[in-house]
Amino acid sequence: MITVALAKGALLKDSVRRFAAAGLDFAAVLEPGNRQLMVPSACGNARALLVRNADVPVYVAYGQAQLGVVGYDVLREHQLPVAQLLDLGFGGCRMSVAVKASSPYRRSADLPAHCRIASKFTRCAQEYFDALDLPVELIHLAGSVELGPITGMSEAIVDLVATGRTLEENGLIAIEDLFHSTARLVGHPLALRLDDGPLQAIVDRLAAAALAPLPA
Amino acid sequence: MALQPAAGARDLNPRQVEGNRRLCDQLAEVYRLWGYQEVAPPTVERLETLEAGGGIASRELVRLAADEPLGLRPEMTASIARAACTRLAARPRPLRLWSSGVVFRSGVGDAGGQRIEEQLQSGVELLGSGATNGGTNDGNGGVAGVADAELLRLLLACLRRVGITGAHQPRLLLGHHGVLSALLDQVPAEQRTAARQALTGFDPLALAALELPQRQRQGLQALMRLRGEPAAVLYQLEQQLGPCALLDDLDATLKAIAPVAAAQGVTLQLDPSFQPHFDLYDGLVLKLVCQGADAPVELASGGRYDALVGRFSSEQERSSASGMGFGFAVEALRELLDGEVAEPEPQPPVLVAYANALALPAALDRLEQLHGAGKRAELLAEPCPTRSSAEAIASGRGCAGSVWVEPGAA
Repeated sequence: MITVALAKGALLKDSVRRFAAAGLDFAAVLEPGNRQLMVPSACGNARALLVRNADVPVYVAYGQAQLGVVGYDVLREHQLPVAQLLDLGFGGCRMSVAVKASSPYRRSADLPAHCRIASKFTRCAQEYFDALDLPVELIHLAGSVELGPITGMSEAIVDLVATGRTLEENGLIAIEDLFHSTARLVGHPLALRLDDGPLQAIVDRLAAAALAPLPA
Repeated sequence: MALQPAAGARDLNPRQVEGNRRLCDQLAEVYRLWGYQEVAPPTVERLETLEAGGGIASRELVRLAADEPLGLRPEMTASIARAACTRLAARPRPLRLWSSGVVFRSGVGDAGGQRIEEQLQSGVELLGSGATNGGTNDGNGGVAGVADAELLRLLLACLRRVGITGAHQPRLLLGHHGVLSALLDQVPAEQRTAARQALTGFDPLALAALELPQRQRQGLQALMRLRGEPAAVLYQLEQQLGPCALLDDLDATLKAIAPVAAAQGVTLQLDPSFQPHFDLYDGLVLKLVCQGADAPVELASGGRYDALVGRFSSEQERSSASGMGFGFAVEALRELLDGEVAEPEPQPPVLVAYANALALPAALDRLEQLHGAGKRAELLAEPCPTRSSAEAIASGRGCAGSVWVEPGAA
């Protein structure tokens, strides 16, 4: 039985669609009334685990799921031993530094040394500011990071930006990007080495489905 | 006061310890039959030794706050290789050594803090039995092949002894550092390290991103998928590398173990891009994996580490330095076999009770008499007024029976 860890939230719909194109139908997870966290595929040969974004690489790293779909941002932040197999292309967004629109700073390197930066992605932020040689005080927040600069708690934030609307509506602007993120197919490295074909076949079908345009 | 052990540390109950000991004893029995002698390498070592020439990342080492840069061993090979080249240098080769003990690895825990992982390991090292000189063959390769074959057969014998059968779906992953290097020789030198990392780390995205001519990249992508039944993979490798002594040796080694492996239900899988976690090895590498209840379980891992032995050898001996070994993860083995192997239930002890303080010396005498007769017996901690209440306490504790000692009984 092949187990796939799928991230709840923004990536779920596209993940299900892509797996359907590759022959594994997990449409049941999208049904509005679904409360089940482990859902079998329509064919009965696979099952999906519905987990939080950050938990996808955890289930895959421990081998409980052989495959998973999760954003590159999560992989960068958590750095677990999983194999990145495919760039699935959807769920595109940027990891950006943002400040208040009224802020005088327009480049990350201009931010004052030892200023406070709020983020959910503190490891990514730490690596980025380390590379800039800019000492900063990172504040870990679990969400609504935009409030950091609004309330004056932090000078800037590091957060995911998809359309930029949330930033705009909260009076913030993105000044620099750390990296671009899309959904990735990840796998358990040992399970892939032990695979006699079925796992790689799914990966190949997903890759082929990525080349074909997604059905609307 | 904290009532929990430090994150990652093991705190075992008697049944678990008994299970570990039984497995270690069974493995040791096989090692001894094959002519291996036990050594006990130090738990604490210099960091320089532990890093094994860069093979082990220093972030994985548990460092000690000491005057010297010291750490706890993450594995035992480096220490044993050093002992073999120094104190045991005069001993005739090949040197067959085994050891068991706890190894420590450092990692990052959930909260970002240090997490120390303790593991019980039992393994063998075969030193000074023909070197491959880091994969290049100088006519000695055949001898190295003999050591490889011995070690693999010993591994299979150990599996047989501890009770790993086809039902556990054991699979022996085999790779070869030298073969992978030969395959990567065609890649431009500046891309070689990145290509190797992408292959061994199973990272097709990194492989696709390498700046290489299309044909070469496709060759590497095909290599990442190349694994399976040894004969078929060897054929593919020969198509790419041409006939070479390295592949002939590998073929001979595999032929020496294939029938036994098949009889035991162990699947052999040749996987050219497979490398173990620690980068100690420069020849054959191996990992034994079984299917656990819900995820693959790594039971043993090892390989050939001639260069590591060379680091501890003198200039003249460096070219002929050789070593090969493997270690079992005893606790993974115990957890996999838990409940399957009929464990001989220990005989419950006899409870020795005594009427009052005056009878205590006599009760202790009685206790030792029972021990002298080879019987398990334990003392009741407080006086017990009657024979019948002693009997009741004994049955409550699950004892085999009771002995009640009156004052003046001795």
